[in-house]
Formats: sequence, structure tokens, C-alpha cells
Amino acid sequence: MKNLKEISTRLEIAKKKIEKNKKKIESSNAASLGKALKISTELVASVVVGSIIGFILDSWFDTKPLLTICFFFMGVAAGITNVIRSAKRMQKNN
Amino acid sequence: MSLNPMHQFEVYKLGPEINFGGVNLSYTNASLFMTISAGLILSLLFFGTKKKLLIPSKIQLITEMSYTFVAKMINDTAGSSARSFFPFIFTLFMFVLFCNMVGMLPYSFTVTSHIIVTFALAMIVFVGVTIIGFVKHGIKYLELFVPKGVPIVLLPLIIIIEIISYLSRPVSLSVRLFANMMAGHTMLKVFGGFVISLGLLGGWLPLGFSIALTGLEILVAFLQAYVFAILTCIYLNDALNLHH
Repeated sequence: MKNLKEISTRLEIAKKKIEKNKKKIESSNAASLGKALKISTELVASVVVGSIIGFILDSWFDTKPLLTICFFFMGVAAGITNVIRSAKRMQKNN
Repeated sequence: MSLNPMHQFEVYKLGPEINFGGVNLSYTNASLFMTISAGLILSLLFFGTKKKLLIPSKIQLITEMSYTFVAKMINDTAGSSARSFFPFIFTLFMFVLFCNMVGMLPYSFTVTSHIIVTFALAMIVFVGVTIIGFVKHGIKYLELFVPKGVPIVLLPLIIIIEIISYLSRPVSLSVRLFANMMAGHTMLKVFGGFVISLGLLGGWLPLGFSIALTGLEILVAFLQAYVFAILTCIYLNDALNLHH
């Protein structure tokens, strides 16, 4: 009986250790790295796409710097909405 | 071998040059490594499902794990209505994963470190998702660009912003994968160059770094394939279920 009790306490300790490790893995650097890269590219891509659209429209309508500037800022806004959206999605998943 | 860290990304022809209607269709080292990746995936799946044992062998276990991994990912992010797109997402995930992993072998070539490859993959996803959205919802799919509860005065601005954010999807999807792979491999090469140029005396520290970086790169290779697939699922979810 004594042996059994010892084993059960050992098992519990081991299980707790495993859970601790699991939590560590979940919030490990790897996952955060992935999230950081994901969010940063999202922000940059929208700005780039916005500027390119502005540039193309500019060369269509011959309004050289105006639309590029406008669409650059719209791209920034789109990037920030994207980042907020994916951040919300991450919160929901956690 | 040159010490130039960008030398590894060079694409060169293998065999004769093939021109087809003004398009250069020569077989390059990039094509070779894509073929190798596709062949590896096919052989893994073939040998993994050849003998269906109750207690799986190692290769069967890997195949089953990759299946359940992708199936669970689709279920969690896009819901059960996206299950019919499993073959596409599974193919995409396995292809990106194997291209990244084959690129980690010495003397090999990383296909996904070229933006044209990743951009082509992202455009397939983008165009496909847009078509699916229009087929499923018709003209109502454009509601995606009109968020609820926005005052009419702000609506034109918001619609432009939403369109930009929609168009930025393939760019962010492709740039993420390409930039990660290229930066990682360049870094590995730079540290490898340090080992050679510092010699026996000082080369040990960069050698340790490059070993650690190799581990990190394998992790990034997996992570980027995962992110690529999961974002495809999320975009698919947006197209299938409009109200998100």
C-alpha cells in the first residue's frame, strides 16, 4: 500500500510538471515570433498596396503626387485595421 | 564556392533552353527542387497509406498526423463547411512545408525564398477565394467591404480602406513567407562565412550560432507553412460565411 501511495504522489508531481511545460510551450517564443511576423507584414503590405494603387491612379489621371499621398494614408489606415482585426482574432483564440 | 550570401538564391538552367511562345520554360534548379518536394510528398503519402495497419508504422503515423493536423486546422478556423476544400489546403500546406524543409538541407535550393513562387501561390489562394465568394454569395459578396454600423458620411472612405486591406492579402501572404525564408538562409550563410574567414581560432562562436540558427530555421520553416495554410483557411472562412 505504501508503495502505491508513493507512486500516486509521484504521478501527480509528474503530471503537474507536464502541465507546466505545456503552458511554457504554448506561450513560447516560437508562437510569439510567428504572431509578430504575421502582424508586421500585414501592416506593411497594406501600406505598399495602397501606395501602388495611388501611384497607378496618379499616372491615369495625371495628378502626380496627390493621389499617391492620399492612398498612402488610406493604406496606413487599412494596415492598422488589419492589425487590430488579427489581434482580436488572437485574443478570441486564447 | 563564393562567400557571397546571396549566391545561394541564384536560379540557373539545367539542360537546354525551352522557349514556348516567347515564354521561357526552361527547366531550372528551382523546378528541380519543386519536383523533388512534390515527389517526396507523393512517396510519403503513397508508402504511408500502402499497408494500413491497426498499430501504425512510423511512416503511416506521420501521414496520419499530417492529415489530422490539417483537418483540425480547417475545422477550427473555417468550420465544417470548408471541409470540401481539404485537398487544396492539404496540398498547399504540404508543398510549402516540404519546399521549406528541403531547402534546409545543405547544397539544396529553397524554392520559397523567391517571391515569384510565393506570390504565385498566394495569388492562387486570393483568386480562388474571391471566385468562391462570388459563386456562393453572388453580388452580395461585396458586402464584405461594407462593415455594419458605419455612418453614411464615412462610408466611401471605409470602403476604399476595406478594398485596400482586401487587396493587401496576397501581398502580405507572399511577402511573409518569402522574407522569412530569404532572411533566414542569408543569415545562415553569413554566419557560415564567418566560420571560414575566422578560421580555427575564432570560428567556434559563429559555428555555434549557425547551429542554433539551423534549429530556429527548421522551426520557422514549419511555422511559415502553418501560417500560410491557416491564413488560407481564414480567408476561405470569410468567403464562405460572410458574417464574421
